[in-house]
Amino acid sequence: MEEHIAINLNTAIHQKARLGIMSILMASNEVEFNYLKDSLKLTDGNLSSHLSLLEKEKFIKIKKKFIKKKPKTLCRMTDKGRQAFEEYLENLEKIIRSMS
Amino acid sequence: MNEEKKQEALENIELIKELVLQTKKHIGHYGGGWISIIWGLFCFVGVAGQRLFIPHGPLIGVWWVVLAVVAGFATYLVTRSFTKNQPVRAQQDYMRYFLRFWIPLMLLGYTLATFIALIPSLSNHYISIVILLVVSTGYLIIGFLFYRWILYLGTFGYIGSIICAIYFLEYSDMILGILFGTGLITAGLVINKQWKNT
Repeated sequence: MEEHIAINLNTAIHQKARLGIMSILMASNEVEFNYLKDSLKLTDGNLSSHLSLLEKEKFIKIKKKFIKKKPKTLCRMTDKGRQAFEEYLENLEKIIRSMS
Repeated sequence: MNEEKKQEALENIELIKELVLQTKKHIGHYGGGWISIIWGLFCFVGVAGQRLFIPHGPLIGVWWVVLAVVAGFATYLVTRSFTKNQPVRAQQDYMRYFLRFWIPLMLLGYTLATFIALIPSLSNHYISIVILLVVSTGYLIIGFLFYRWILYLGTFGYIGSIICAIYFLEYSDMILGILFGTGLITAGLVINKQWKNT
């Protein structure tokens, strides 16, 4: 009989696009909006809504900057976001371990 | 149900791994291998040209300046092209550091080379020695600060330049050009191969 798994994954992260955003931000200190869009193959609107949700959770910080007179949107992971992502990873590992 | 959850967890871990690796690969690559190859060719072509210009004295300096401008522009194009894929375009930073570091050193090299060309009692063969000593000094600094393999190249270049100046002055430009050129092109090919394998 299979054991019931009562591990709750953070719903703000547990979604393909947001998981992708958080993974990229874990690897790079700061990331441009366009880089996220191209890497995750998302539309502007779709990416914006995911970023807003993560920002609302205070997992990321978004700032706008002008580089060579062109506006750039830069995203950065917060300490809270890093902690939440690490917890999420631990939980994924727990799920795998508990079933192997 | 549990099996599905496990499968999803495995897929998510795979996705995280893939994205982290891809992002790190993009961060670390700014075309260093190609830049090394460009400057390796710079050595080969520079020395070949110097052989032609040696009878004309100060023209050697002009030749090296023109060549350095061409190689510098090629470096800029390579950096611009590779940094397009970076999470935050660091192209300007790379170019800024590159110029801030190499321009003063190259100015020193060209000034010394010009003096040598203007002093009739000094052989024009010393010009390539001086330029390569200055370039080696640059590699030593970068090597001490960042990359060990560049430190080896700098040490090798520095000692090689001095040995050539003492024992093989007449052929020093050819010897050093071939050694530096080969060293840089080999390093560039190794860097490119390593990057492809990451």
